[in-house]
Amino acid sequence: METLDHKEVINLLLQLASILILARVFAEIARKFKQPAVIGEIFAGIILGPTILGNFFPGAHEYLFSSHEMTNIAFDGFVQISVVLLLFIAGLEVELHIVWSQGKKALYIAVASMILPIIAGFVVAYAFPEFLGVNINDRIVASTFFGLAISITGLAIVARILMDLNLFKTSSGLLIIAGAMIVDVLGWLIFSVILSLSESGSEGLGVWPTIGLTLLFTLVMLTVGKGLINKVLPWINKKMAWPGGLLSLSLAVCFLAASFTEFIGIHAIFGAFIIGVALGDSEYLTEKAKEILHQFINNIFAPIFFVSIGLKVNFITGFDPGIVGVVIIVGLVTKYYGAYFGGRLAGVSRKESIVAGFGMSTRGSMDIVLGLIALENGLVTEPLFIGLVILAIIASMSAGPLIGWARNLKI
Amino acid sequence: MGKIRLFNGLSFFKMYKKVALAIAFSPRMEALISETKRLVQLFGSDLILIHIGKKTDDLEVKLDEIITKTGLDKLKTKLIWKEGKPVKKIIEACKEENADLLVAGALKREGFLTYYMGSVGRKIIRKAPCSVLTLIEPNIGSTAFEKIVINGTQLEITRHVIEVGINFSKQLNAEQVHILNEIKMYGLQMGTASEDSEEEASQTRRQLVQNEMQYVEEILKNIDQGNLKLNIKVTGGRWSVELARFCEKIDADLLVVGDDYKLNFFDRIFPHDLEDLLSTLPCNLLIVKN
Repeated sequence: METLDHKEVINLLLQLASILILARVFAEIARKFKQPAVIGEIFAGIILGPTILGNFFPGAHEYLFSSHEMTNIAFDGFVQISVVLLLFIAGLEVELHIVWSQGKKALYIAVASMILPIIAGFVVAYAFPEFLGVNINDRIVASTFFGLAISITGLAIVARILMDLNLFKTSSGLLIIAGAMIVDVLGWLIFSVILSLSESGSEGLGVWPTIGLTLLFTLVMLTVGKGLINKVLPWINKKMAWPGGLLSLSLAVCFLAASFTEFIGIHAIFGAFIIGVALGDSEYLTEKAKEILHQFINNIFAPIFFVSIGLKVNFITGFDPGIVGVVIIVGLVTKYYGAYFGGRLAGVSRKESIVAGFGMSTRGSMDIVLGLIALENGLVTEPLFIGLVILAIIASMSAGPLIGWARNLKI
Repeated sequence: MGKIRLFNGLSFFKMYKKVALAIAFSPRMEALISETKRLVQLFGSDLILIHIGKKTDDLEVKLDEIITKTGLDKLKTKLIWKEGKPVKKIIEACKEENADLLVAGALKREGFLTYYMGSVGRKIIRKAPCSVLTLIEPNIGSTAFEKIVINGTQLEITRHVIEVGINFSKQLNAEQVHILNEIKMYGLQMGTASEDSEEEASQTRRQLVQNEMQYVEEILKNIDQGNLKLNIKVTGGRWSVELARFCEKIDADLLVVGDDYKLNFFDRIFPHDLEDLLSTLPCNLLIVKN
């Protein structure tokens, strides 16, 4: 087995240290401005990456991120694990009983807030592929991918905003949370189908087998899988070290599910997400355990992923104001109106629908993962990806003040 | 709710005017009737005995014997015999008679209503037009409802559930009443709070508990609690699971929960909270409907 040499180990450790330190510094700055940590972490990446460090201190940047190929491969492994864990925690956040308790209203809001951006995103990208930077050779898939990327809601971010505004437990708050949970589940289901479309011509399983397997995997995990979890978890809680046993085994199960979905041709992150949902929905996974998993992943692995975005892309050379403008306008307007009309259709009051519209517009997590996968698969170009990241930042920063404003509306 | 006047001059609103009891000729029938008799006397209600099945002379005689043995007031007791599908017919009888409370026996961890088995019993509970009291271990000497637990989780029906629970506890002279409230998505909220300083996170934790306490206290303000000993407890996690665990831990005699939810197909695949509770059945259960 090949191993890293002395210099490569030092390089890898320095990479991780610089990423975690800068991510923390900027997360703290974001916190001072009452913004989500993820925004700070994205900025930390921009500073450490080719945009700032590479531009002004090319030597330092070269040493840190381009001097040892093996180190970069090892670091990529860290990033992959971070994405898988990020999706795992996103799955844990989905609580099916909250979704059921909100019922039709949440479903309408979620579905409408996805349909409108997906259609609008698809139409814009399909009509102007060269301007926007979607892969013209895979036009349908790339355009749908773009639509899907702007249709996602940032569940963890909106949860934080609602907590800060003291709205988390209110009917509007729970409606948005349940809506965001549905968006997450639907989003990843659609994602795996689109990805199979992209690969149908090559080594993938083909569209229908992938759709069938995706649905089967989801259903089996949420029924048989959950049943199994319910049998094993009480034993783990009772007989093993706590939370050590639970932490190591739940992560092991997450990696198993991720490798299984990757093996059958669906992306690894889908398996991590669904196992997260199954585990999170188990009555035996205590809230304390969820809290620990959250802290552990959100503060160690999430920063590594969000900083890595800035390392991959140059935000100055790749910046295209036209593309960014279109992405932001299409993204914000369609997501807001989708959720708003969905709410109105389901009989939600006008004011609550406006709040839901702003709440559902929050981004900054799964949409970036989606964008990055599209970038790495050659479906979108760097400027479009940058547009998606900037959309996430603007949407997350504006959601709090907009929700605060909307709830005081006298309508 | 009608008003009755007690001999000592105190007046209560009659909690239940008509109490229905679904009976089957099982070994526990006598115990169930005894238990219901006590409740009917306490509430000053009329009793309706519903039996689904063929009416035969034998069964009539047998039932009459039990009624006499248990000392039921025949003037205030009505017998209904119906043939057909048990769930449909019991619900039909409750509607026709305008029953406010349906009492039914249930076997702990063994499906429902010994007679109707599994999902049929569950359907009765979910579809009944009135509140339902399920007794898991009825006995002839009558169960003492000393420790009562009420679901205080923030739901639309909770205010009503607490009110009914308190009135029920007062009439049954309960020794201790616990109201359990759950912090919704505690893990997600505290996980999100890990972006804050230690002090802020502790403050968030305290605030989450405080908010739930206040919610229950606010409801209790407008309810006469009599001499009841009340305890408000806040938990994190799914309320159905937490309630079941708590009831088992303190060996509760009765759990009071609300139901304002329509049962649908998806509840079979992904059971929601009340379904969970029904399958666990930690103790006797009063399901309050609007």
